[in-house]
Amino acid sequence: MRTVIFSWEYPPRVVGQLALYVKSLTTQLSSKQVDVNVVTYDDSATGKTQEPTGVQTYRVSNPVRTHIGVLTWVLTLNQEIERVAANIYYENNKQIDIIDVFDWHFIPAAVTLKNALGIPFIYSVESLEDHRSPTANSSYNMAIKSIEWLGFFEAKGVSVKSEWMKEEVIRIYKVPKEKITVISTEPNSWIQEVLKLYNSVAEVKGNEA
Amino acid sequence: MLSWEYPPRVIGGISPHIYFLSKSLAKQDVKVYVITCDFPGAPAHEVIDGVEVYRVDSYKNPSPDFATWVYLMNMNMQRETAALTRKIADKIDVFHAHDWLVANAGIGLKHIFRKPLLVTMHSTEMGRRDGLHTLTERMIHETEAWLTYEAWKVICCSDYMISHVKYAFGLPNDKLVMVPNGVNVHCYDSNQDLKAFRSKFALPEEKIVLFVGRLVYEKGIHVLINSVPKILSNANAKFIIVGSGYMKEQLLNIVRSMGLEHKVLFQGFMDEESLQKLQRIADVSVVPSLFEPFGIVALEAMAAQSPVVASDTGGLSEIIEHGVTGVKVYPNNPDSLAWGITKVLLDDTFAKQLKTNAYRRVQERYDWEKIAQQTTHIYEGVLGEYSKSFWA
Repeated sequence: MRTVIFSWEYPPRVVGQLALYVKSLTTQLSSKQVDVNVVTYDDSATGKTQEPTGVQTYRVSNPVRTHIGVLTWVLTLNQEIERVAANIYYENNKQIDIIDVFDWHFIPAAVTLKNALGIPFIYSVESLEDHRSPTANSSYNMAIKSIEWLGFFEAKGVSVKSEWMKEEVIRIYKVPKEKITVISTEPNSWIQEVLKLYNSVAEVKGNEA
Repeated sequence: MLSWEYPPRVIGGISPHIYFLSKSLAKQDVKVYVITCDFPGAPAHEVIDGVEVYRVDSYKNPSPDFATWVYLMNMNMQRETAALTRKIADKIDVFHAHDWLVANAGIGLKHIFRKPLLVTMHSTEMGRRDGLHTLTERMIHETEAWLTYEAWKVICCSDYMISHVKYAFGLPNDKLVMVPNGVNVHCYDSNQDLKAFRSKFALPEEKIVLFVGRLVYEKGIHVLINSVPKILSNANAKFIIVGSGYMKEQLLNIVRSMGLEHKVLFQGFMDEESLQKLQRIADVSVVPSLFEPFGIVALEAMAAQSPVVASDTGGLSEIIEHGVTGVKVYPNNPDSLAWGITKVLLDDTFAKQLKTNAYRRVQERYDWEKIAQQTTHIYEGVLGEYSKSFWA
C-alpha cells in the first residue's frame, strides 16, 4: 500500500492542530508497513522537527511570491503539489494506491491527479468553510465552498472525525452517507479504521476512481 | 493547445490567432485539440476545420477579482483537460499554452503527463501596464515568469517582443523563438468590381488614404490629421478614418478648424467585410503609430495589396522594408508622414512596386501556412530533445 498525503500544515509548520494529527497518522501508518509520502507546504522550514521513520516528506514552496489573497496563493501552490505527486508516481512504477487530502487547499491537485492518472482520493475533513465563516457569503467564501464541493463530488471516500461532522457534510453538501466514514478517536483502534478505509478505496483504480 | 479564448469567444487577438494557427496546423496533419473557455450557445465539443475544440466550464460563480477568476478557471480547465488527455494520452506530444491566462493548467499538465510545454507570449503584464505598480500586476508578472521558466521554448511574434520578454524574465537566448503573427491573405482574394463601393467614399479623381485603428494617442492619428494640408497641397485625396476612441472629438475639431471636413471622413467602426473591401481600394494605408508591439494592420494592408506608409517604430520597423515593401517615416512627425504619403500618391510606378513586393513578402513570411510550418518545426525540435530526456 502506497499512499500520498496532502496537508497544508505539517511539522515544523504548525498552524492549527491538523499538523500534529497528520504527523501521528504518518507515524502510525508507517509502523503498519504502509509506504507513506507527505506532500506539504514549507517555505522556510523554521524550527526543528523529528521526521517519523520511514515517512518520505516533500516540502514545496510557492513559485509565485506575490499574492493578493489566500485563494491565488493556494491555487498556484497546487501545481507544485501536482509536480511532486507526479514525481512520486513516476519514480514508483506509476503506482500510488490512494491520495489522502486534508481540507480544501489541495483538493484541486487531488482532483486533477485522479482525472489524469486514475488515482482515487479520500477527502479528510477537519473543518468546513461553512463553520469557519458561518455568515460570510462573499465570492471569496463561495470559491472555497465550491472547492470543498468539488472535493466531495470527486472523492472516492470521505473521512470525518465525528458523527456530528458526518451529519453536517450531509446537510451542507448533500453527500451520500455511504461515502462518509467516521474515524473514531479511540486510541487503540483508530489506525485500524483508517487502514480499513484506505484498503477499501485502494481497491478501485483507473476509470473507477 | 490551451487558450482562454477561441471563436466565438473573442476578447483580444489571441482568439483569431488560435483559430488560424490551429486550422493551419491541422492542414499539416498535426492533430490539434484546442481547450478553451465555454461561451453561451457554443457547444462543449465540436470539430472546426479539422481541429477538435473543447470548451470547459470557465468557473461561473462570482469571483473576487479578475486574477483570482483566472486561477479558478485554470482549476476547471486542468480537471477537464486531465480527463480528456487520459483518454487520448498516447496521442498528445506537447502542450502549447498561450499567455499567463492558462499558466497553471499548462504547468500542471506538463508535470502530470510528463510531456513538454511550449508557450506563446503574446504580451506581458510589464508591457501592458508600462511597469509593475500593484500586487496584482506583480503577481501576474511572476506567474508569467514561472510559465516561461517551465516552458521548453517561448515563442514571440516579433524581435521586439523577444528582446522585451528576454529582459522581463531574464530568459536565455536559446529558449526564445520568433514566429511572426500571420495574416489571412485569402480573405482579400476576390475579383469583385469595387467601383460602386469606391464611389460611396471618394470621387473618381480623388485618391484614397486609409487609416485603421483606435483613435488614441499611441496610434498617432493626430500626426496624420496634421499632415493632411501639406499632402493636399500636392495631391488630391480623400482621408478615410476607420475606428473609434477618446480622441475623436478633438480630431473632428481640428479637421473642422482646418476647413477640411469634405476631405476627411470619420467612419467609426466598420464590419469586417466592408473594411476588407476598403483596404483593397485604398491607394495608401497609413500606420502612423508612436508605439506598436507588432502592427497587424500593416500586414493586412500588405495582404490587401495597398501600399503602406508606416512610422519606423516597434514591430512596424521589422515588417516594413523601406522603399521595398513600404515607406517608413519618422514617428510623430507630420512633415515626414506627408512626404511619405505624397510620394506614394504621386508616383504610380513606385506604389505598384511597393504593393507587389509587399504582397510577396506577406506570402513568404506572414502566411498562416508558413507560420504553422515554423510552429511544426519547433514542435519537432522540442520532441527530438525530449526523446533524449529521462521523461521520454
